[in-house]
Amino acid sequence: MIRVQQEAFDAGVEQQALLQGRSDIGAVVSFTGLVRDFNERPEVTALTLEHYAGMTEKALEAIVEDACGRWPLQGVRLIHRVGCLTPGDPIVLVVVASAHRRAAFEACDFIMDYLKTRAPFWKKEHTASGNYWVAERSSDHQDAARWEEACNN
Amino acid sequence: MSLTHLNARGEAHMVDVADKAESRREAVASGRIRMHPETLALLADGELPKGDVLATARIAGIQAAKRTPDLIPLCHALPLSKVAIEFRLDEPTSSVEVSATCRLNGRTGVEMEALTAVSVACLTLYDMCKAVDKDMEIGEIRLESKTGGKSGDYRRQGMSSPIVTGASRRADPGLALDTAAPCIHIKCLAELRERLGVSDLDLPFEALERADIAGLKAALTAKDPRFAGLNEGRVLCAVNQVMGGDQTPLTDGDEVAFFPPVTGG
Repeated sequence: MIRVQQEAFDAGVEQQALLQGRSDIGAVVSFTGLVRDFNERPEVTALTLEHYAGMTEKALEAIVEDACGRWPLQGVRLIHRVGCLTPGDPIVLVVVASAHRRAAFEACDFIMDYLKTRAPFWKKEHTASGNYWVAERSSDHQDAARWEEACNN
Repeated sequence: MSLTHLNARGEAHMVDVADKAESRREAVASGRIRMHPETLALLADGELPKGDVLATARIAGIQAAKRTPDLIPLCHALPLSKVAIEFRLDEPTSSVEVSATCRLNGRTGVEMEALTAVSVACLTLYDMCKAVDKDMEIGEIRLESKTGGKSGDYRRQGMSSPIVTGASRRADPGLALDTAAPCIHIKCLAELRERLGVSDLDLPFEALERADIAGLKAALTAKDPRFAGLNEGRVLCAVNQVMGGDQTPLTDGDEVAFFPPVTGG
């Protein structure tokens, strides 16, 4: 299940919904990304998240599909927020369920790495000293590249 | 729909609001003053000769909201419960965005107060900065939203900070062409939209010498030199919402989006 929304989400509620009525799931890993009050500059007061409606959902679906092809997963929930957020707000939620923990841990890590480098979202940070669009990070690309190597080995 | 400020004879009159129910009303207006990047930098660093520009403009805006009935002939004097002025320094467009929020519990709306506050805050910004920049331009003064009252809530559609970029297809009037002809639909997203000052536009398919992304970039740049920016830095593109590159072929009716590297998560 994939959602792009402005509203906040409750990680506990989403995890429960994923596990509801299931007894075949042996491991569930949940990751929540939050808005920090410092990034490229200190004193970030707000964040605006823009996306490319339509393509965003397709890109997220492709990432989840890719993860399902690499690990035996029994369920994935992926929620990404858009709009205006303030420090402390949750931005993104990835919940991955599997029979065993390794697959759940790795798939969750993989989904976040691919999301950060492939899904069309853009962040604009608002700070006391002005606003700016966040630049891409090479470390995110290195993180995502780990999975390519893993694939080639 | 009739104009409430005109009576049966078409003469201007002040509307009697005594019988209207009191409700909590709020209006948000915004505007923008464009300036040279050097002026914006001086403003951000607090180095303009007249002193703290934003603090002065904020007080001016608040004062103006309270004086609206003195300026606009048929406006009622309103006991405003809140006037807030905010500024956003926008480097990509080299401008200051001004927004004003006015609120009260009363019988008539506060949009004129919010619009007046924005206008006077912009004028004060001009006054505070004119020693170093006389080319500044004030514009885009408009109501963003209005709540409370009989006529219902209003919210401007798809104009400010489009978070859902794919929703509305609005051609740039400066570049709009005959849309009945076969077209390529182009979108510029996020930082690129602000850098180029273009959100959506249609280009006739026949304007392309080569029917691919490289050909589209060339046709756009020939039409408007701003689009040379499509070849500066890392600009990604998607054709019909699938990632593409310079060699990706195009056909009539395709949607092409240009955007900077993604930064979600």
